[in-house]
Amino acid sequence: MSTTRAIINSRLVNPASDHDAPGGVLIEDGVIAQTGSEIDLDAADEVIDAKGCILAPALIDLRCAKEAALTPDGETLDTLCAAAMTGGFGTIVLAPNERDPLDKAGGFAGMSRGLAQRSVRVLSACGATQGLGGEQMAEIGLMVHGGAVYAGCGDAPIHDTRLMRRLLSYTSQFDIWLASRPADAHLSSGAVALESDWSARVGIPSEPAVSERIAIERDAALAELSGGKLMIDRLSTAAGLDALRHVRGRDLEIAATVAVAHLTLNEVDAGGLDSAFRMDPPLRSESDRRALVEAVASGEIDAIISDHRPTPYDDKGEPFALAIPGTLSLETMLGAMLGLVHDGELSLIEALRVMTSGPADLLGLPQGRIDIGAPADLILIDGDKPWVCQSEALASARGNSAWSGRRFQGRVLQTIVAGDTLYNP
Amino acid sequence: MSRAEFSYDFPHRHLVSVADLNPVDIQIIFERAAHHLAANRTPDKRSDVLRGLTVLNLFFEASTRTQGSFEVAGKRLGADVVNFAVAQSSASKGESLSDTARTLAAMKPDIMVVRHSATGAPQFLAERTGLAVVNAGDGMHEHPTQALLDSFTLSQRWGSVGGRRILIVGDILHSRVARSNIGLLNILGAEIRLCAPPTLLPSDVDQWGCDVFHDLDEALKGCDAVMALRQQRERMSGGFVPSEREFFHLFGLTHERLEAASEDVLVMHPGPMNRGVEIHTKLADDPEKSVILDQVESGVAVRMAILELIGDNIRKGAAP
Repeated sequence: MSTTRAIINSRLVNPASDHDAPGGVLIEDGVIAQTGSEIDLDAADEVIDAKGCILAPALIDLRCAKEAALTPDGETLDTLCAAAMTGGFGTIVLAPNERDPLDKAGGFAGMSRGLAQRSVRVLSACGATQGLGGEQMAEIGLMVHGGAVYAGCGDAPIHDTRLMRRLLSYTSQFDIWLASRPADAHLSSGAVALESDWSARVGIPSEPAVSERIAIERDAALAELSGGKLMIDRLSTAAGLDALRHVRGRDLEIAATVAVAHLTLNEVDAGGLDSAFRMDPPLRSESDRRALVEAVASGEIDAIISDHRPTPYDDKGEPFALAIPGTLSLETMLGAMLGLVHDGELSLIEALRVMTSGPADLLGLPQGRIDIGAPADLILIDGDKPWVCQSEALASARGNSAWSGRRFQGRVLQTIVAGDTLYNP
Repeated sequence: MSRAEFSYDFPHRHLVSVADLNPVDIQIIFERAAHHLAANRTPDKRSDVLRGLTVLNLFFEASTRTQGSFEVAGKRLGADVVNFAVAQSSASKGESLSDTARTLAAMKPDIMVVRHSATGAPQFLAERTGLAVVNAGDGMHEHPTQALLDSFTLSQRWGSVGGRRILIVGDILHSRVARSNIGLLNILGAEIRLCAPPTLLPSDVDQWGCDVFHDLDEALKGCDAVMALRQQRERMSGGFVPSEREFFHLFGLTHERLEAASEDVLVMHPGPMNRGVEIHTKLADDPEKSVILDQVESGVAVRMAILELIGDNIRKGAAP
């Protein structure tokens, strides 16, 4: 858009520079031209009075999924983007999963160009192995040339240590992250829950928390050997966090993400065996959740991801142990994270950092910050506005939300990408 | 000091590794090879310098060009050349290598030309039999005559390879050709570059005295020669690269890519060549750039030089 817009009277929160103070921005040609308390209003064609609301960078998600094209009633790119802008996201990354492995080099560049036409910025990662089978390397190089922003192993860990070494080695030449689920393939095989009092009582297949620790130690050792960049994709336990701290003492490139579900829910939520709480990784104990929140506060977690996963059948159609894992979460992630702020577990800036500059820095993106010259990807938030998540009211095509019926405090008022307001209910 | 100013004779009875050679040895080999190269282009190719000596071609791995090249070289020098197709003989009946060696030694050959899939096999045979041994390729270790013919081909064009920038691109990890070439080019003072995906490079490659690249366009800048290597599938276990088309896209030599190199860059390949994987078919056939067939011609001349020099030392009864 060619008009010049000013946003004033906001609480401007810019995690990239640790800035949280009253102020505003001036947007010219989709780029941030001025920030601070002295905005030149004469230059603006349009002035938005934020009336004290929070102005922050639009959110960035490194891991979400749509459904394959032509899936009846499925989450299309249209509904996914609608969910993203409703939830305050300016940038989302499609990550490979079993139903959409993103492993074909043919057409990848065309797909990336198609994604770039969207008003929300949609990027794509690529599958690291053919069909995400964990056996044959996919054509990662051709897909990186076609626009892939990182390579992902999907939902399951790579059980073959030699292949994992080669994947880390091969991806290192493109300077991209290899995202891998931290789990020992054998210890976690078939698990739908954490090994705990609860899972033992209800008698469901479970995995010990050390499965995550073992995988992180293994993959970090291989990253050190190969010079690859390892992204711990969905850290979920305190045991895994211990391992992360241990390996970070060495000379290697390692990043860690946590899904919003593991920061804001625990296995007690799944206690009624409601299929909506069947997650991958499974929901963990309250002590795991607390440890992860503290790690966000201390800056040890690089990014919080939505891990938005639409599934057929809003009730997942199967009992807990058989249900497809995953939850919708693009539209509730900000509300859930603001819940941690209202509860005093995180500061606002800590909560926003892992959803903005944190993920942007991992991918080297210019957005995710309110800096002069950065793309004007912004959100206005009413931090106190109460609302209730109703799955039938979501913009997503599906309804499998673990937060359905939850009360939230804080909601997006406007989502702005490249200076254009995409969402303004 | 040139060789004419002091007395130095080629001292070797074996050629197992390029590391055994010094610059003067290499100069002697190249001088004799140049002589044979010229003679090979005349109708009067044959000499009798190896008359009475028996050369045993002992190839435990299938080979067409190397075995043929050694056979032609030996015959042109008047030796009796015997090819042992080992795959069809004792080795397949469970005989150990040392028993095979003793059996063959009892037939009183003079020179054994050995190719084997195991690193160290030529050395092993030399120690067990006391015969003169020429390494024609052992595992992923060395292929010294290939390196010598490569440098000889280049020095025929340039006079000398010293100071020239030479790129080796492709499967370095599994390549004995690369290992021997790196050793030899280092001795000759060339600037060596390597380019491959990280999965096809040895993990300690930064210790090899070469500049290492993963980006072919960067690696090609200012190169005087570039040597493409094929992926050694017979030595690979599991996948090192996702596909041939991705490999070609990232590491395949083409005319367009060579524009970054020096204007009269030479393109080499030790063969066998996989067109459309490591080299574009039009480039392989370009007589302006490709010296691939020159390498084959040089191969006979260089192997004649080596057999001749070793034959001289056998006649003199020189110590190993």
